[in-house]
Amino acid sequence: MSPFLNVLENQVQLICLAFMAVVYVLRLAWILHFRPVRERGLAQGDAGRGAGYALAGVALPGAMESIRRKPIFYAQFLLFHLGVVAAITATFIIPYAPGLFEKRLIVLAFQIVIGAACLAGILRLVRRLSDRRLRAVSRPDDYLSILMMILFFGAGVLAVPNHPRDGETALIAFFILTAFFLVYVPFSKICHYLYYPFIRFDLGRSLGHRGVWPPVRPGRECAPPAGRPS
Amino acid sequence: MRRTSESRSRQILDLPLDVRTQEKAKADKAPCVEEGRLATYRPDGRNVQRFLALLSKRMNRRLALSMTGCVHCGLCADSCHYALVFPDDPQMTPVAKADRIRKIFKRHMDWTGRIAPWWVGAKRPSDDADLNELKNVAFGLCSACRRCTFNCPMGVDTAGLIRFTRGLLTSLGIVPEGIFNVSRDQWDTGNQMGVSEADYLETLAWMRDEVRTELGTDAVDIPIDKDGCDFLYVINPREIKFDPRSIGQAVKIFHLAGESWTMPRWGWDNTNFGLFSGDDALGAFVADNVYEAAARLKAKRIVISECGHGFRSTRWEGYGWAGRDQDVPSESVVVSLERWLREGRLRVDPSRNALPVTFHDSCNIARSGGLTEEPRRVLQRVCSDFREMTPNRTENYCCTGGGGLLSMAEYRPIRLEAASIKARQLEATGAKLVCTMCHNCIDGLNDVIKHYNLDLKVVQVLELVDKALLV
Ligand code: SF4
Ligand code: SF4
Repeated sequence: MSPFLNVLENQVQLICLAFMAVVYVLRLAWILHFRPVRERGLAQGDAGRGAGYALAGVALPGAMESIRRKPIFYAQFLLFHLGVVAAITATFIIPYAPGLFEKRLIVLAFQIVIGAACLAGILRLVRRLSDRRLRAVSRPDDYLSILMMILFFGAGVLAVPNHPRDGETALIAFFILTAFFLVYVPFSKICHYLYYPFIRFDLGRSLGHRGVWPPVRPGRECAPPAGRPS
Repeated sequence: MRRTSESRSRQILDLPLDVRTQEKAKADKAPCVEEGRLATYRPDGRNVQRFLALLSKRMNRRLALSMTGCVHCGLCADSCHYALVFPDDPQMTPVAKADRIRKIFKRHMDWTGRIAPWWVGAKRPSDDADLNELKNVAFGLCSACRRCTFNCPMGVDTAGLIRFTRGLLTSLGIVPEGIFNVSRDQWDTGNQMGVSEADYLETLAWMRDEVRTELGTDAVDIPIDKDGCDFLYVINPREIKFDPRSIGQAVKIFHLAGESWTMPRWGWDNTNFGLFSGDDALGAFVADNVYEAAARLKAKRIVISECGHGFRSTRWEGYGWAGRDQDVPSESVVVSLERWLREGRLRVDPSRNALPVTFHDSCNIARSGGLTEEPRRVLQRVCSDFREMTPNRTENYCCTGGGGLLSMAEYRPIRLEAASIKARQLEATGAKLVCTMCHNCIDGLNDVIKHYNLDLKVVQVLELVDKALLV
């Protein structure tokens, strides 16, 4: 491994990671400095259950009409985010546990997951470009974020075999993109995952308190009223 | 029924600010205007500054999260009746509407937007014309139904952002005339229709006498300001002004159920235009009138008549606006009805309501109030042919008259165009009656029925229970 790649995989990543952590802490402090809102009415439901339901929303494709009607979009969402997890994991495995990528099956699994995410990313970009309603709300950040993710996944597929002896281009590209993301993400829309638990928790608590969430599921709704028949 | 005109939103965005009623209020020396509780438009070129100052001052964590959390995925687009009816108009999507305020937030408060505004589409309004356009989006292209909120995978509360924007604009007098007028009435008379105390008491007495005649007993009463009752009944001023039958039905049912109840002389309006105008101070004033009446009369609970936004405001939001924790329990009259039916205190014959009935969930009750099953249980007891509407409960479509839109005549044409979704949904039920527990929805649905020539009649839960009663 060249000294450049060595520094890139280790020191550069650590510095960028530290930078990202600092900015995330500042971001969270910023969001949390806003006055919280709380329900003051007597509870009709369970705030905790509501929050749980809201946070589980990502794994409940049937819960939201918008997702229920778009199963392919949900599949893309899953593949894309699984790819993110796999690619980020790879950035740690390569420098700190390279032995794992000596097993062909593990490498193949990572390549499939990251490759599928790359494909999902391309489909998302096509959707953003071809849907005029989406174009109307898309900013440079939206385009760059998805484009860079596609490149990141592409580089990830080539990098995970981790064979610097056969050429370092893929590894260098992968780690340069990783460093880029670590610095860029806190300022881009990609940091939505930082806010996600807070937004869902807050909305879920409020709706849970009011007895709106979890909603009545079909089949269990409208049980015959108890009590004496009139 | 799908419209393809992409310029439809432009026609709305270009509607001018009309301040004639504001001028009239000033000339009339309306107390709320004189005392500065209701703002009027000041064309002094400083409104953008004021807007930004208020934006910072009123921002809270929930709003900030909704401002920052949107990923522009566009999934909310197909949940909005405006966007569904105008699929080729990009300005009709919830995300596009919310982005109008989001871009200002980003430019004014968010780091990235302040450093590189062009990168994230951050932009401040330049002048009052921009604020007027924002007014037309926030008031004219959204019924604040919250359907998009429930369909956002991130949990972004677009309807909350719209209400927040409305509130900022209301504080500058950059509001539709209807919003200004109703706010004025509610500030100055304590009720949104400017009903005088004499009219209120006279109508109640009239309804009491009607029920006495119908039941043939003088034992029927509408106790005013009676201490220590089981519940305080608060109503929608529309019931006094246009539909007192619903008061008569309630009086009859309360009498038959053997309830101890009262109505307050002051603090009887359960509706709250603060919800629609985004004015938390008005919201607090109106809600507090009700809470104070309950405390003054030592009522054991507050019962709210059939009103969607009235229920949401009085049961939930009002405590936040008024900054007080709820001490007296409150419930919708439909919950009371369900209990009395269940306990056998009301005897009914469902065959008296033989026509097919469907139920329209009010947005404010289903999506923000957590009340979806009680009305169904009541309808299943008092009607012989109940049919669900699809979609229903928290997924139901707005009657399209929500968010105060019924008071804003300038947005009526586009509201009715967007209502084609609702018309189709109603028609598909095959019902002859559409029941709703909201006075606002009655007017909204009646508009839709008339505009689309549907063979349907709007009824309320109380009306159907009354009809099924075995006296
Ligand atoms: S609140 Fe309702 S009307 Fe407003 S943007 Fe959302 S879905 Fe559309
Ligand atoms: S669904 Fe939510 S995150 Fe997606 S565009 Fe709409 S508001 Fe934004």
